[in-house]
Amino acid sequence: MNSIKSEKQISVAEAAAEIKNGDTIIIAGFTVWRKPMAIMYEMVRQGKKDLHLIMNNPSIGVDILIGSGCIKIWESNYCAHEIFGKIGNCFGRAVEEGSIIYEDYGHYHTVLRLQAGATGVPFLPGWSCLGTDLLNPEYDMLGRAGLRDGSNPRIPRKKFEIIEDKFYGEGKIVLVPAARADVCIAHVQKVGAQGTVRIEGQTFACIEAMKAADKLIVMAEEIVPENELRREPGANTIPHFRVDAIVECPFGAHPTGVFGYYDMDGRFISDYHFKSRTKETFKAWIDEWVLGVKDHNQYLDKIGGARLTSLRSNSSLKWSTNVVRR
Amino acid sequence: MSKNTNNTSGKYDLTALMVMAAAREVKNGEVVFAGTGLPMIAIMAAQHLHAPDAVLIYEAGTIDGKTISIPSSVADPRCVYQASVASGVANVFETLQRGLVDLGYLGGAEIDLYGNVNATSIGDYMHPAKRVPGSGGNVDINCLAKRTVYIMVQEKRRFRNRVDYLTSPGWKVKWWDEGAAQPKWVARKKLYPKQFQGGPSAVITNMAVFRFDETGTMYLDTVHPGKTVEDVKNNVEFDLNVKRVTGETKMPTKEEMDILYNEIDPEGIFLKR
Repeated sequence: MNSIKSEKQISVAEAAAEIKNGDTIIIAGFTVWRKPMAIMYEMVRQGKKDLHLIMNNPSIGVDILIGSGCIKIWESNYCAHEIFGKIGNCFGRAVEEGSIIYEDYGHYHTVLRLQAGATGVPFLPGWSCLGTDLLNPEYDMLGRAGLRDGSNPRIPRKKFEIIEDKFYGEGKIVLVPAARADVCIAHVQKVGAQGTVRIEGQTFACIEAMKAADKLIVMAEEIVPENELRREPGANTIPHFRVDAIVECPFGAHPTGVFGYYDMDGRFISDYHFKSRTKETFKAWIDEWVLGVKDHNQYLDKIGGARLTSLRSNSSLKWSTNVVRR
Repeated sequence: MSKNTNNTSGKYDLTALMVMAAAREVKNGEVVFAGTGLPMIAIMAAQHLHAPDAVLIYEAGTIDGKTISIPSSVADPRCVYQASVASGVANVFETLQRGLVDLGYLGGAEIDLYGNVNATSIGDYMHPAKRVPGSGGNVDINCLAKRTVYIMVQEKRRFRNRVDYLTSPGWKVKWWDEGAAQPKWVARKKLYPKQFQGGPSAVITNMAVFRFDETGTMYLDTVHPGKTVEDVKNNVEFDLNVKRVTGETKMPTKEEMDILYNEIDPEGIFLKR
């Protein structure tokens, strides 16, 4: 078999085109791991505007989208590059300039919002954040922007609510609203030709993220025969009928890493962090690495075969034993 | 975090000293939540030394990995090796919210007298002078673990009378009565139910180790070799209680140094040569 036929398969460019200006989006992954970078780069090339982002732990991809003017609303809990950069520079600049609306939550509350979206309820309770500025009524930034009037079905009428537990009498507990997105984009190891999703290693908040959007686009390192994944259904995470479109893109998460496939490219992320420290040098980086290449294949050619090979995971250990990490 | 340097007034490995101070906070058998960097190394050192049965949880979803190559972050495949469970963020936060985590290690940009930490922004939140990454799991771990230990840089601008943004709660926290724009300061223990009566228990910096008294107020416990109480006071904005100082922070032993550099981080990912 030369290729695996799938009616759901679309290209990276088609995947990015599924995201419309003004959409509410969720991006799966965790900081510098398993981010759908190829689609995010393509979103920059397609000049997306006014996106409303709800996700946990953004890093380089979202920083690039913010620097490129694609994001209007950021609802999250973090934006940096782990040990490769203490802040997303474009994110930090946009917050300091007031050019994006930022709504801060804690990590668990962000995940609860995704879980609520995934499970179809309007909110879920969680105990953290009591006593902090994350629940400061003055710091409701979507409210301050006049966007909590109920006219946008993707924006809840409140940032949070605090109630008394009436079931066990355990006192005050925080409710956070469901994330209800138009589209989720994710990057995973394997997807079956019909759309069944297989994640290997840690799942982060990807399963909740993938279930919380109306449309789900899954990019994978490999499209594999559906029956291959169905030999071990217990290891699969999302059933085929929930997946609207699939994209095959090896190294599609670069410079972030994929368990069992390749390490994140720390040198690349550090270099991005350095280059993104001013608007001018960021623009030059984008011109070189995003707008200057026509697609992800050209981008990978530019990275170079030897570099990519050094990132490749050891098939037994699931991480690279050849990558230079310092 | 700080580099391995020969300190100005005494030659010793500051990073190793801080890591070992953090490692000594772990008791055998405890369940510990660790973030990226020195906390990871601290808990691994504790597992090698006095706490072999401590269980390490990574925020990205791994429980009790038996790491043989130091992960560069909590979502690294290296976290997962020989783990009991590799799952997701929800599962480990549920474990935390179930009250099963004894200790968490955290960091931040600013801390106040009561252990409130800012990890969000410097200056006015609405028009910040400098944005920093945001809470991440800082607030969750600090709210829901039995004890937390902060590892921070000792600077006057970081040890504040009041933090600019209260990301993660110490022992006296903000509360807004219904409809109130201005908060009042309340005891954290009154705000949280009985299963979450913990909070910050120590702060480890490049100069000293601090703890919290019965009222939840920070005091100086030990000073690192080569530093004085005055040095520490000069690097704190608030009026620091120095009446309970117990002496010098313990130096790492040769065995401990060997474990840190040769067993845990031989690649020098966090412990620079």
